[in-house]
Amino acid sequence: MAPLLEIKDLHASVGDKPILKGINLTINHGEIHAIMGPNGSGKSTMSYVLAGREGYEVTGGDIVMNGESLLEMEADERARAGMFLAFQYPVELPGVGGMGFLRAAVNARRLEAGEAEIDQLEFVKMVRAKAAGLGINDDMLKRAVNVGFSGGEKKRYEILQMALLEPALSVLDETDSGLDVDALKIVSDGVNMLRDAQRSMLVITHYQRLLNHIVPDFVHILADGKIRRSGGKELALEVEESGYAGIDDAA
Amino acid sequence: MPGSMMQPDLGQIGALQGARAAAMARWQSNGWPDHRAEAWRFTRLSAIDKMELRPAGDAGPMAVSRPTSLPANAVVLTFHNGIMDTAGLDALPAGVTASTLDGNEASLDDLAGLVPVGHPVSNLSLAAMTGGLCLDIVGDIAAPIILLFGGDDNAISTHPVVLVKLASGASAVVGEWHQAAVGLSAPLVAIDLAAGATLDYAKVQFDSRSTTHVAATGLRLGTGARFDGFQLSVGGKLARLETHVTLTGEDADCTLSAIYLGRNSQHHDITSNMAHNKGHCHSSQIIRGVLDDSARGVFQGKVYVAPDAQKTDGNQMSRALLLSRKAEANTKPELEIYADDVLCAHGATVGELDETQLFYLTSRGIRPETARAMLIDAFLQDAIDGIGNADLAAMLRPVVDQWMTAGGNR
Repeated sequence: MAPLLEIKDLHASVGDKPILKGINLTINHGEIHAIMGPNGSGKSTMSYVLAGREGYEVTGGDIVMNGESLLEMEADERARAGMFLAFQYPVELPGVGGMGFLRAAVNARRLEAGEAEIDQLEFVKMVRAKAAGLGINDDMLKRAVNVGFSGGEKKRYEILQMALLEPALSVLDETDSGLDVDALKIVSDGVNMLRDAQRSMLVITHYQRLLNHIVPDFVHILADGKIRRSGGKELALEVEESGYAGIDDAA
Repeated sequence: MPGSMMQPDLGQIGALQGARAAAMARWQSNGWPDHRAEAWRFTRLSAIDKMELRPAGDAGPMAVSRPTSLPANAVVLTFHNGIMDTAGLDALPAGVTASTLDGNEASLDDLAGLVPVGHPVSNLSLAAMTGGLCLDIVGDIAAPIILLFGGDDNAISTHPVVLVKLASGASAVVGEWHQAAVGLSAPLVAIDLAAGATLDYAKVQFDSRSTTHVAATGLRLGTGARFDGFQLSVGGKLARLETHVTLTGEDADCTLSAIYLGRNSQHHDITSNMAHNKGHCHSSQIIRGVLDDSARGVFQGKVYVAPDAQKTDGNQMSRALLLSRKAEANTKPELEIYADDVLCAHGATVGELDETQLFYLTSRGIRPETARAMLIDAFLQDAIDGIGNADLAAMLRPVVDQWMTAGGNR
């Protein structure tokens, strides 16, 4: 089977500043890859470039998902093609009701797939069922998107969206940031429940601790816009012990 | 400017008496404000004098189609080309007494004392009145009374004049719905709420894109009276909705919120003057504007607090959302406070849709046009949520939705 995602010699700039300087990465169906790296290495830029955020300009290379280049696709088209980004800082949308938002997202994908819009009652049932497992109560679901949510609640709400949208590729951008141990466990359990042979994930993190909960198949070290080392899950432990110092030289 | 060159051409109007004669004299000496008038700095009316207009004649009213979103139980009074269809008056509920203003000097004097002083429409439309209606309301009137203004002649100006008086303790729901295609629509409205009276009010300005709409409304609230008002300005080429409120008794409560939605080269102006003449009153104004293409929006809001009007609570918040680089919003909040124990807050912002919020929505697969509509809707929501009367809220909502689907999708 062809790989789910191929990143080929990817170069990207923000403004005039080159951030990604030749990334190569292949993710097969069902694999979990982790990208670790120091601050400023280009981790968040990579997540935005994959999701198609405006202002993050690809200056070279290609991103191919299921055999199709994503570069000409807008953020919403990429999402409907199976890309999902769990935000490091989920965005508050005052006045945008949570259920309407979730439904619009689910329906956008269903319409793209040629399916009918989801039945309202069925949808509420589905959201409640998935929310319960993530400790999200009805009160949170009724509020405007992310408004008045704690840091941990925002991250759980990201995972709820991921569960509802069933993406082929989930990019988790520093999902552990701002989480205490209990919240980290809830979020990780939520992510692990979504693991299957067809779904792949790219877990971006600064710290190794998330990878104790979401155990990756592969770990890559990103520094100064390039993947400097790749290995198995033990590479994360090595970084945890010796830090990122010296990684640049290894390339 | 010599009277003969001013528009509309009032040459056909015969001799007037009393308040109307005085209004005519003021109109002839003042005419439209020119570019030096501070109150009209952002809204220029010079285009009117380039039109060829005459006040609507006495042609019998024709049917005006009833908007589908009017409350089902509404009593509708129709004006066609500024002239009232008196047949509708029969359907008014008990407690509402309708009379014509034409020749009713006492009511015309009342009205002249309530409408915005110095406003060109206070002069012009009183002088050129094409249809005059007085509603005297006593008791609790549940059915909304909707004044429906249609029209189909771009060579005419319309000057409907309406006086609504609520007796002490009365309550009513009144709406104005404008959907005329005329050269100039210049409604003049006066509302007088006696002590303890309550009025829920909404105005929808949905005139044709060729129409210039210049409205003047005067409002007086007695002790403990409550006015819950909302204006929605969507139609017209140029529209100015100006309302002057005088709070003349303690514990009066006035809400005067508005939404304007502009596209192409439309110009919307919401101007208010809130005079707290007595203490212990509350006033609130939430203004939201959405402007696309090269549309322009203006909000001018003055809050005046008289020297002994202590414990006044007056607030005003205006926000404009620009969807295009060529759109423009001007806001001029103005506080004039002569009492020392007051709570007055005002704020004004002008901004664009938030790129981060748009990205968040589109990253979930939501199409950009839908994402924009969701954010615009959210922006307008708290203004709409403030409408207390469910029938009036339901009347406005489809107009906003229609505006969004008609081209907010870009």
